[in-house]
Amino acid sequence: MSISGQLGDPPPTPVDIKAELRRAVGTLHDPQPSKMQSMTSDLSIDEELILHSVGWEPIELVCGVSLYSVPMGVWNWGQGEITSASAAYARAFEGAIDRIHRECAKAGGHGVVGVQVDRSIHRHHIDVTLLGTAVRPVGAKQVDAAHVFVSDLSARDFTLLHVSGWQPLGLAVGASFVYAPRRSIGVALQQKSQNVELTNFTEAMYAARESAMERMQSSAITMGGTGVVEVKVTEGPMDFARHAVGFAAWGTAVRLVAENHRPLKPSMVVPLDDPMTGFEATALRGN
Amino acid sequence: MTETAPDLPEAANRRFASQAFTSGLTVPDFAACLQMGLEPVGYVQGFCVMQWGWYGLNSPYRRGISPYSGGQGGYMESWQCPHGFVSNEHRSWGQNYEQSWIEDAWGQGFGTAYSRMLEEAAAVGAHGVVGVVDTADRLGDLGVLEFHLRGTAVKVTDAPAPARGQPWTTYLAGQRLAKLIEAGYMPISVAAAVSSVRVWAYCMTEFLLEGTSSTWGMQPAGAEIIQVASAQMAARQIAREHVRAQMAGDSLHGAELVVSEHQLSEGDQEIQCLLRGNRVRRFKDFDPMPVPHPTVRLS
Repeated sequence: MSISGQLGDPPPTPVDIKAELRRAVGTLHDPQPSKMQSMTSDLSIDEELILHSVGWEPIELVCGVSLYSVPMGVWNWGQGEITSASAAYARAFEGAIDRIHRECAKAGGHGVVGVQVDRSIHRHHIDVTLLGTAVRPVGAKQVDAAHVFVSDLSARDFTLLHVSGWQPLGLAVGASFVYAPRRSIGVALQQKSQNVELTNFTEAMYAARESAMERMQSSAITMGGTGVVEVKVTEGPMDFARHAVGFAAWGTAVRLVAENHRPLKPSMVVPLDDPMTGFEATALRGN
Repeated sequence: MTETAPDLPEAANRRFASQAFTSGLTVPDFAACLQMGLEPVGYVQGFCVMQWGWYGLNSPYRRGISPYSGGQGGYMESWQCPHGFVSNEHRSWGQNYEQSWIEDAWGQGFGTAYSRMLEEAAAVGAHGVVGVVDTADRLGDLGVLEFHLRGTAVKVTDAPAPARGQPWTTYLAGQRLAKLIEAGYMPISVAAAVSSVRVWAYCMTEFLLEGTSSTWGMQPAGAEIIQVASAQMAARQIAREHVRAQMAGDSLHGAELVVSEHQLSEGDQEIQCLLRGNRVRRFKDFDPMPVPHPTVRLS
């Protein structure tokens, strides 16, 4: 879905961009700086405009970082879930979210949008970094850190949620680390020449994926959410311990704040632009 | 068309004096610039090759013998071992501190390359420089860093000479620049700063980074590595403060934060944050656009 002016609406008054530019350049001769409040933002101009259209404004670039240790020896061969690693993952996220909450509240923000979530899992520690732009309704008063939301939705997606009556509540996160199950030598030899499902593998992976999703869902419910949008799921063996597999899921917890969901009713459009934007010499070869 | 600038290489003066212009803009950006009354007049650039002695004999970059030897003003935090004397190898103290000399050297390199680019822009009579690209690359294995800034110098049709003879600059070009102007922001300059925080791990940080040792009985099975988390937060905070100091009441738009970490030895690392963006000033009142209407593309 893309956002543009509505078909059939009267065309907006065209802006004389040359005159606007000359006007803008003219203001540089005025040594007085702008009287508007200074802000820092990593949003694009499109994102900022779209936020303004629903009465929100960016105010400050904010971040949160946390590193949580993983005790020695937990990656050694074992059975079932690696609970220390799963817990460390959750604590690292909690620490980073807590810090970005505090930075956002201090800057006067009501929430953080477009949060970049960087995670790195090392043998002895799990690092989480969050970076985004604090936003608030234009001119709104400061709120307590506990009432700030953190969302990895883009400003565009935040706007779409907002106009359809939904509110982001925070990052919902869940993870589960498991040992790849081992078979006994007898079973391994027995199954060597068979086409057979390795049920212990299937069950362990299945359970771990479900645990990660369940934890994410529980954290959303704790925040008062009724759903999670833009869920990302990652999985894979650890670089430093290939027998250990990690599953993680995160997304933005949301709830409906309007009386009913407000349908967006998008218009269907057929773009008339030619997708061929440049001349390609290879086209002449008839390939 | 141009003045001869004595500080520029002869080839640069000859290039600017020729009848053809050069531009680093893509064709769509070039067309957009012409549409908004910006005339490309020359591809301008500035360089600076910097070296600084991180490990000189008297450099505070080296690990000192006192827990309080590192700080040179700015951010500093210290940690004290809870175990008492254990051995000479035991890290009985730790410290995070801002390496202001590295930040200054970076600022000097960037600032010099930037001012040289502006000098070229002024030589071609430009009002501004659009589509700025900056890089800081190591030159081979010489241990030096080359700062390189380049962009396309432009003139604004029918506009008076630039204020205070200083061209404005921006990382934006073409449509994005047009939207910025239309939204009521005028680019003032590119803004960039680096922060550098050094972490000298104390014993608890070392244990946690290498796997918790229950031998010491001081930490639960898992714990937050406060010293490093604190350094990471400080590095980001300092970079933002440095850029804010360049704003003079204006705003930073389209910011990008790049973080790099260098492990210098076990438990000894540097965290560097580069923050860059466009310093912009609002030139007309806030005028939000109407709520956009969503569409679905059928192709």
